[in-house]
Amino acid sequence: MTSIAIVGTGQTVHARRRVDVSQAGLAREAAIEALNDANLTMDDIDAVVVASGPAMFGSVNQPEKWLVDALGARYKPVVRVTSGGGTGLAGALQAINQIKAGLARRVLVVAYDKLSEGALQASISTLYDPFWGREFAVGIMGFSAAYWRARMDRLGHTEEAAAMVAVKNRKNAMLNPKAHVKKEVTVEEVLASKPLCWPIKVLDVPPISDGACAVILAAEGDAETITNTPAWIRGMAYYAEADNGPNRSMLQSEPLKTAAARVYRNAGVTNPRRQFDVAELQEPYTCFELSYYEGLGLCAEGEAAELIASGATQMTGDIPVNPSGGCMGANPIGATALIRLAEAAMQVTGKAGAHQIKGAELALVQAGGGWANLRGVAVVGSSKD
Amino acid sequence: MTTTPETMDFKNFQIAMPYTLTAGHAVGSFLAELAHQRIIGARCAKCDTVRVPAQDFCGDCGGESNEFVVVPPTGTLTAWTVTDQGIIGLIALDGTSVPLLHQVITATPSDLQVGMRVKATWAAEPVGAMMDLAGFVSAPDAPVAQVEPAVDLSSPIEQLDYRMELDYEHAYGHFYGTLFDGIKNSRRIRGVRCPSCRNVLLPPRPMCEACYVPTGDWIDLPDTGIVQACSVVHIEFVGQRIPPPYVYAEIVLEGSSTRLIHTVGGLSAEEARSGAVRPGTRVKAVWSDRRTGGLSDIDYFEVVADHE
Repeated sequence: MTSIAIVGTGQTVHARRRVDVSQAGLAREAAIEALNDANLTMDDIDAVVVASGPAMFGSVNQPEKWLVDALGARYKPVVRVTSGGGTGLAGALQAINQIKAGLARRVLVVAYDKLSEGALQASISTLYDPFWGREFAVGIMGFSAAYWRARMDRLGHTEEAAAMVAVKNRKNAMLNPKAHVKKEVTVEEVLASKPLCWPIKVLDVPPISDGACAVILAAEGDAETITNTPAWIRGMAYYAEADNGPNRSMLQSEPLKTAAARVYRNAGVTNPRRQFDVAELQEPYTCFELSYYEGLGLCAEGEAAELIASGATQMTGDIPVNPSGGCMGANPIGATALIRLAEAAMQVTGKAGAHQIKGAELALVQAGGGWANLRGVAVVGSSKD
Repeated sequence: MTTTPETMDFKNFQIAMPYTLTAGHAVGSFLAELAHQRIIGARCAKCDTVRVPAQDFCGDCGGESNEFVVVPPTGTLTAWTVTDQGIIGLIALDGTSVPLLHQVITATPSDLQVGMRVKATWAAEPVGAMMDLAGFVSAPDAPVAQVEPAVDLSSPIEQLDYRMELDYEHAYGHFYGTLFDGIKNSRRIRGVRCPSCRNVLLPPRPMCEACYVPTGDWIDLPDTGIVQACSVVHIEFVGQRIPPPYVYAEIVLEGSSTRLIHTVGGLSAEEARSGAVRPGTRVKAVWSDRRTGGLSDIDYFEVVADHE
């Protein structure tokens, strides 16, 4: 099977509100940075995947139509992919499938959301069945807080453990020039912060951001001619679970486990904690990062609180998680998953600057959409196999 | 079969959302200058096309369109159609490369001809939006003019308020129709049993998604259940139905195997936090006087003793 690599990445300067650019202009900014990074122009790109969150976020339906102009993509195949918080990774998977199928050699994936423009929780509540759940839904927050509460009882995911995730990721974001939230916090401050949906408190929650990310993927043979430092995709998968299927405990995400098992098999990963040098995990709230430690096999079930407390997932630990600061530094939802992938590529190619994990060769990426039922995993390496 | 919303065939829903949209530099400049009755376009530095309204980028070549021009308020009608809200036309403004879609204001459609000359007409009170340019009227004698470099441009309008209201008429279908008819008229909650895994599924559905076989018998469920997960809502948000704080809960009714999303009432936020309701707590529906055929016919669930 043809190997595929990331040959260029770009990100906007993310912000709470970018009043200087339209939605299309925001996407263009990231795309141009990725093209410059790869030393390519749009003439060199065969196809474009636009990835953005629910149209409800920005009130523009079919935004890919608008982006054709902004990207200079006329007469190229342009499709849009959307899958909530996992959108960016779902978009990258679509690009990989196009290359594997021989439909394109080089694909630009551009992912964005301009969340300053709409009503976030209300928009997310429209993901729920209008007859069954929407009237009492609190976006993704009510749900997430409820299952964190359940994990506290069953898995020991305490408020203190989640607060440590906030402390770690906000500290890491200080080193990331693209992050827009740069303020260190303490465990005590997180615990004392205002409850939004208890146990979720203000400082457990990432910012609402305007931002975009772009990634260029190319096939082996071509990738090496574009850059001396391709970041090889060693595996990628995205799985779904029936939302209201019978007997779902929701203590762990079943599709996450399925995706991880498949990707680890493809990438030859048998001991994730030992084999990965770094991980970029999409944490919409702090409690998610704890749950992903377990779902991804970085520790056993019920040991996430111990793992974060041990310091192993800090920049200086043996399995640093979110050296970029993760969502805590910036969270433009449609772009967030692609940012995780781009950051992983930057890590394994030594391009992560101040938040570089020295000598990183193998990186783990996780992202998810919906509330618990769409989960994706990827492995990115400095070598093909 | 009727489609009036009073029957159990359809239910009306509305999604209403406020937005603060960002125009970007070029469109923002265009909108700002409408107040001065100037139409701003942009010339692409790379391929020389002129677009109006001004754009930050060129749809033809993907280049930056960073040279703003003042476009003459005159042009030629290249296409038009009559709608119940007036006449919509494509107007090739003089000196531009891409026609502008706008309103044509005229006495009767029979006056219109492709190729006729038109000129802009302006709103009396500009508000910083597209309709400050009220539309175009016939101007048979208007000479063909040129675009001019734009000087002394106003600061761009950065943000625009917008509101979207979408009305939906969702069909209940057989399974939801049976469920919600029972809830409305007889306060019965009915699920269906999967003949393969024997789980009772609520809401009822035609297929069991675990076994992927057609479901079987209808099963009456009690209005008591176990809290699978719960949180205490303090956040306020657009479209919220209940004033916070309140308890969000995912409840599995006794005898069923799926989640019902509702609230637990009758206790304070402090009581909820300190464990008065938690995963495993038994709850019972408190029915409302409303009979709307929806989950809000239950006001909330209240905590009850394990063997009540």
